[in-house]
Amino acid sequence: MSATTVARPIAFGPSPGRTTLVLGGGTALVVIAAGAALVSGTSGISIGDAVAILLHQLTGIGPVTWPSSTETIVWELRLPRIVAGMVVGAGLACAGTVFQALLRNPMADPYIIGPAAGASLGAVTALLLVPVASVGWLGIGLVQFFAFAGGLVTVLVVFLIARGRGGTPAVTLLLAGYAVSSLLSAGVALLIFNSGERLAAVISWLLGSLAGASWPRVAFAAPLIVISFSLLLLRWRRLNALLLGEAQAAHLGVDVEREKRILTGLAALSTSAGVAISGTIGFVGLVVPHLVRLAIGPDHRLLLPASMLYGAGLLVLADLGARLAGGIPVGVVTALIGAPFFLWLLRRNVVGVRVGR
Amino acid sequence: MPSAVAESFPVTLTDDAGRELVLDASPRRIVSLAPSNTEIVCALGACDRLVGVTDFDDFPPEVVDVDAVVIAASVDVELVIAAEPDLILAAGNELTPSAVIEQLDTLELPVLILYPATLDEVYADIELIGAALDRRSEAAELVNGMEGRVADVVAAVEGVERPLTLYEVFHAEGTTYTAGEGSFLASLLDLAGATPLTGDAQGVIGAEDLVAADPELILLGTASYDPSLSDSEAALEAVRARAGWADLSAVRDGEVIPYLDDIVTTRPGPRIVDGLEALARAIHPDSFE
Repeated sequence: MSATTVARPIAFGPSPGRTTLVLGGGTALVVIAAGAALVSGTSGISIGDAVAILLHQLTGIGPVTWPSSTETIVWELRLPRIVAGMVVGAGLACAGTVFQALLRNPMADPYIIGPAAGASLGAVTALLLVPVASVGWLGIGLVQFFAFAGGLVTVLVVFLIARGRGGTPAVTLLLAGYAVSSLLSAGVALLIFNSGERLAAVISWLLGSLAGASWPRVAFAAPLIVISFSLLLLRWRRLNALLLGEAQAAHLGVDVEREKRILTGLAALSTSAGVAISGTIGFVGLVVPHLVRLAIGPDHRLLLPASMLYGAGLLVLADLGARLAGGIPVGVVTALIGAPFFLWLLRRNVVGVRVGR
Repeated sequence: MPSAVAESFPVTLTDDAGRELVLDASPRRIVSLAPSNTEIVCALGACDRLVGVTDFDDFPPEVVDVDAVVIAASVDVELVIAAEPDLILAAGNELTPSAVIEQLDTLELPVLILYPATLDEVYADIELIGAALDRRSEAAELVNGMEGRVADVVAAVEGVERPLTLYEVFHAEGTTYTAGEGSFLASLLDLAGATPLTGDAQGVIGAEDLVAADPELILLGTASYDPSLSDSEAALEAVRARAGWADLSAVRDGEVIPYLDDIVTTRPGPRIVDGLEALARAIHPDSFE
């Protein structure tokens, strides 16, 4: 099967020069964002020390000329936070891309069929169950594990509810997701109301933050997101076919129902793994796929890796901004920067935002 | 080797969260994540060991010059580590967020969580920090002095009439926060010779419950932070304007007092006794002439 058919020629694919520019720009963005985040912070560590510590940790070369606290800050605080930002940003952008294609809905984001509400209910339940922080439960903490499980289970339930005899219509999936999310959000609201002195912990989790990032958490989420992304990328042809509509995709030989199950599962895995270690961070998963699609078109062979790069770079940058602004929620920064930029792009591109061609 | 050090250390301490911490030597670089902890350290004469405090710290005055690692109520973990502490004094009950404590634990930093909920627990925390700082006798002396002053207050208000008292912690949109049931503040009001009008465990009291309870005395702790309430007449007018409050006995009798010592009354450090004395004077001015 090819995305380009004789019967219906599709103007997929930008010029090679543009592709290189977009992918190269994305890579540069990630590197620059990570570099800036590594050398910036409140404790006034010099750029030289930060770079030297990174090199020393990675290669073992160079004499240690810095206090151990400096090494802790760079290696145990900043770097896991940067990697977590990359992984979560990439995972969200990737899941957003897939849901937009699968549901053929420009409003789709990684949370659209319920993983955020499920993860929130899981995390808040765990926060209220355990009186003090439980370090290292299953390697990542009870709250993180409950959030991960809550997100995955919710998507599974939504999918089972939406599935009828004639398949799983995208609209039914959307509405079932909306209804289940509302139900779970009511549960979250009830728990918030009764959270008492744990309110601050609950709210700060719900606002989303990378401040709690640590190597064990990265080690939990990163493999899941990388696996999910790799398997999604392998299905780029099928994603392209789905953009034409389900009937057309079926004509092209795609087993549409099976594909929906697989794509939903993989995107939910990526989203839930991210939410588990960072809480719900909005906007990245909605806007990044649109931005990239405006630049290089809807071919998923390029769209997925490019979205991943820009999602990773933008979230690391937004988190740096949040960190330097005194630890405000990173979701505030993604929305503050992302929304006006997105609106400008919308106005500039008179064609508007489309998911398909 | 000074023998005193050899006898005291290593010392195993159990904090208010029930966690054990072993200190091999008396800490020289202390980060305090709550003003009450700072005040205890300074009251034990170890102010010079503080290398990080909160931007809310104001007592004793010299701590204002110590670097802030808690800014706008948010702990900057990077600054905490940069301060190279050998002891971190956190606060419980989410005043230091549990996520931050978890992070400090992951980095294997020495943390004591202090969250006293009674006067006895304040004494215990002073003795705990005294043990950590190798200042046990100073701690015992400090606690002794505090106990004596508390006994004086209790004696002064013995046998007086105990007015039903609403201590206003916060008020917004018809919901009043007062001393919670069984709270530290409620116990202080009781010691100061009042019958505390308590809310639920979080201190919330609804407008209807408040009117039904009909307090005889209202202490506006909010006046400590809101200058518009610091004048008695203005304060009375402000509360009279609230729906249902005009009919409260305290408002009709003009027993609405702007209370300006909220900080020492709600900060569980050595000055909590100042707070108790201020409460008793506000409630029973005649007993302290």
